Amino acid sequence: MDITYVGERLWAGALGNSFVVIGFTTALLATIAYTLGAKNNDPVWKRIGRIAFHTHGLTIFGIVGMLLFMLTNHMFEYHYVWQHSNSEMPMRYVFSSFWEGQEGSTILWLFWHAVIGNILIFTSGKWEQPVMAVFSSAQVFLLSMLLGIFFFDSRIGSNPFTVLLREHPDFMNLPLFNSPNYMDTLDGSGLNPLLQNYWMTIHPPTLFLGFASTLVPFSYAIAGLWKRNYQEWLKPALPWTFFGIGILGIGILMGGAWAYESLNFGGFWAWDPVENASLVPWLTFVGAGHLMLIQKNKGTSLLWVYILSTLTFFLILYSTFLTKSGVLGETSVHAFTDLGLSGQLVIIFAFYGLLSIGMIIWRAKDMPKKKEDPLWSREFWLFIGSLVLLISSFQITFSTSIPVWNKLFGLDLAPPADPEAHYNKWQLPFAIIIGIIIGFAQYLNYKRTDFKVFIRNVLRDMIFALLLTIGIGLGVGIGNSLYLLMLFSGLYAVIGNLSYLIKVFRGKIPKAGSTIAHIGFGLLLVGALISMGGQKIISQNTTRYDISTIDSTYKNNENILLMLDDTVRMSDYNVIYRGKEKEGIYVYYNVDYLNKNNEKEFTLRPFIQLNDRMGNVAEPSTKHYWNKDIFTHLTYAVIEDRKVQKEEYHEPDEHHINIGDTIYASNAIIILKGIRGISDPEKKASYNLGDQDLLVEGELVVYDFDTEMHVVHPHFAAIGTRAVSFPDVIDKIGLKIDLFEIDPQAEKIGIKVFEAKNKVKDFVIMKASVFPYINVLWVGALVMFFGTIIAIINRIQQQRKS
Amino acid sequence: MKKSHIIGIIIIAVAIGAILSTLYDSSTYADFSEAFSNEGKEYHVVGKLDKDKEMQYNPESNADLFSFWMVDNNGEERHVQLHKAKPQDFERSEQIVLIGKAQGDDFHAREILMKCPSKYNDANGDKFLSPDEMKEIDQEKKRSAAL
Repeated sequence: MDITYVGERLWAGALGNSFVVIGFTTALLATIAYTLGAKNNDPVWKRIGRIAFHTHGLTIFGIVGMLLFMLTNHMFEYHYVWQHSNSEMPMRYVFSSFWEGQEGSTILWLFWHAVIGNILIFTSGKWEQPVMAVFSSAQVFLLSMLLGIFFFDSRIGSNPFTVLLREHPDFMNLPLFNSPNYMDTLDGSGLNPLLQNYWMTIHPPTLFLGFASTLVPFSYAIAGLWKRNYQEWLKPALPWTFFGIGILGIGILMGGAWAYESLNFGGFWAWDPVENASLVPWLTFVGAGHLMLIQKNKGTSLLWVYILSTLTFFLILYSTFLTKSGVLGETSVHAFTDLGLSGQLVIIFAFYGLLSIGMIIWRAKDMPKKKEDPLWSREFWLFIGSLVLLISSFQITFSTSIPVWNKLFGLDLAPPADPEAHYNKWQLPFAIIIGIIIGFAQYLNYKRTDFKVFIRNVLRDMIFALLLTIGIGLGVGIGNSLYLLMLFSGLYAVIGNLSYLIKVFRGKIPKAGSTIAHIGFGLLLVGALISMGGQKIISQNTTRYDISTIDSTYKNNENILLMLDDTVRMSDYNVIYRGKEKEGIYVYYNVDYLNKNNEKEFTLRPFIQLNDRMGNVAEPSTKHYWNKDIFTHLTYAVIEDRKVQKEEYHEPDEHHINIGDTIYASNAIIILKGIRGISDPEKKASYNLGDQDLLVEGELVVYDFDTEMHVVHPHFAAIGTRAVSFPDVIDKIGLKIDLFEIDPQAEKIGIKVFEAKNKVKDFVIMKASVFPYINVLWVGALVMFFGTIIAIINRIQQQRKS
Repeated sequence: MKKSHIIGIIIIAVAIGAILSTLYDSSTYADFSEAFSNEGKEYHVVGKLDKDKEMQYNPESNADLFSFWMVDNNGEERHVQLHKAKPQDFERSEQIVLIGKAQGDDFHAREILMKCPSKYNDANGDKFLSPDEMKEIDQEKKRSAAL
């Protein structure tokens, strides 16, 4: 039976889908036209290629616009919209839901390619045809990921526009879709609360802009091989390369900042496979960029330029494969699940891999060759640095790819149990070499070096760096010799470049972009090392309870138990857990920090996000100082309130006391302040007493062990000869106080103190660390970024002049 | 010998070293029987939580010790001492990977990875609500908004 559904807006999907189809066709047309035209610079093919690529760009904008439109208008009949948003989501997260899914992130990538491609058409001059031929082909492959058509039983792409929810294989048989009016009741499943975060708005587009920019040097490199014009393309490709290095670097660090701010592992880098997958191409990209500089200045290392610039793009594709194919599934928290497209992804990266290798081998003999650079030349050390980056990326890739090796060779390897130790063991020495090369390479001239001057400069900087290393190492308390070496290397990179900036550039900032970028990179290394190497877990259990366990190797002793309102010593602070507050989907746990004089310094609010989809997630709270961060997160907390069972009390203690006397309960000190008769008839009436009856109010002050003061007012009444009492209760500490007797003869007052049986207090278990000088890392990142931008601007200006 | 040859040899040596070290550092997935026949060696053991048996967590006495029973993929059941705070939402886990070693009668885990019913974008894991349920939720929302 066919159902005519009401309220579906099918035109939107149809429009979006036609953009996809036209976009695919025009990209294909542009590739073909540019390829044919590139052969002998045919202006007609060039025209066709241009028109095709411009049209293609427009359709990509159309796709982006359509998907945004569907998300903002809550078109839940479409699977993508249903899956990634709902009607309650604040509109500021619309971009987050846009690229939460695979299709959306592919569109983001396509978008940046379209923007860059259209710029290239106008700036690449005589290189336009071969470069754009390669460039457009990438768009063909990427758009095929969105086609969503079947080709001999295998699906090609996943289309966010045509997959209606009711046609989706997982959902089509649901009874919901028997109703023609299903749209009235349908709401989306919503954006994962973990991703409702402003970083999710800015991190992916930055990262993907970085990804997209690797296609530019790749296209130029392939074009250079193709047209047997091996060197000329470096000039137009260089600014793009360094632009990409800056953007991709900042995008990766944004991911680190996000992880530091809202994930629990306590740090900005965890060697997670997905993090690695974006770091590796950055390393080879940096290598490629520097080799391009050597080649441009001296004409050496040409073969390596080709290897690294094609490898970078290939690694971008490979990392896409790792994150999107689901192969990482079990080893990473933030890989996508498989959409059944891994075959297609393999075809794409195999195509570009074979293309690069084939082209390089084919032309290797034909390439101009130069003699090797002398040992003490800047080029030689730039070259060594680039190779170190290449090996470093190889090591990371090999370890990250364990799930791939398992699949390929039928192995059953588990990734290193302690990834940090595994990767640091290799990457620290690489970083140490890089830092030292960065420090001295500037002083080597591009042609010949005056050896005496060079040694003098290097020695001076090294002594400075050594003194600083000793100072900082002692100050922060870093004992590990490898860490100290790393610290030295980072500091030397900073000092070497700083002195070069002052001595050689004499502070001329516009010319010194690269020097500034290297200072930033050095600072980044120093900040990362000090904050991680000097990290101290301060949440050792200081309660009276014994924490030692059977096996000493397993003793973590990293968590502290905080009972509600109890003061606990933690490092330099007295810490008090003050209770929780629920705000929307977040439960905040307020923890006060007092200094030694018990004055409140600040409150941190680590929280738990109630997340139906992924399980509840604890998120940290951090106190930032200029020189350190105090990072705290909950390792265990109860979400529901624990209620004191009011009616269940132990047998009361009876006391006969005078005014001013003190009673000691197990968790409080109680002082009887006084009693007074109450004559107010209204007040009496509230206790169901007549005018003649006697009502006495007692006032007691209760100090709990948190030295918080509570005042209680139990009442005592005499109705004729019958005595009645009205006890008062302090829920918080589970005490009930009853004024049950007034004995005028003995001048004694009878007080009963009831203690609640079920006095389970609320508690949390928390882990807290101090990260010293982590701001050096963030400052370094920014300095590096701005240095790179300055260098690019300077280079473009120089090119305009010449 | 040319410089490039020396460099080449160094690169190859380092690369081989990296491969070997990865193989050495990577542990293997195992089951309890293997872990218990090699006491003291570290393994990754995959299994499921036995929800019917007792889980013990006394943060008052030790916040870093949590014990429970796990059935591995071969059906062997063992008592596990996790030397960490009890993970949030532990009861909801579908699959657990323990990293640790056997000692005596217990498996001592220093690290735990949990797989929860639905991760990130798992469409199949999402609940689909019937119109009635939707209405109920709407009403619930209105009620709580009124409060």
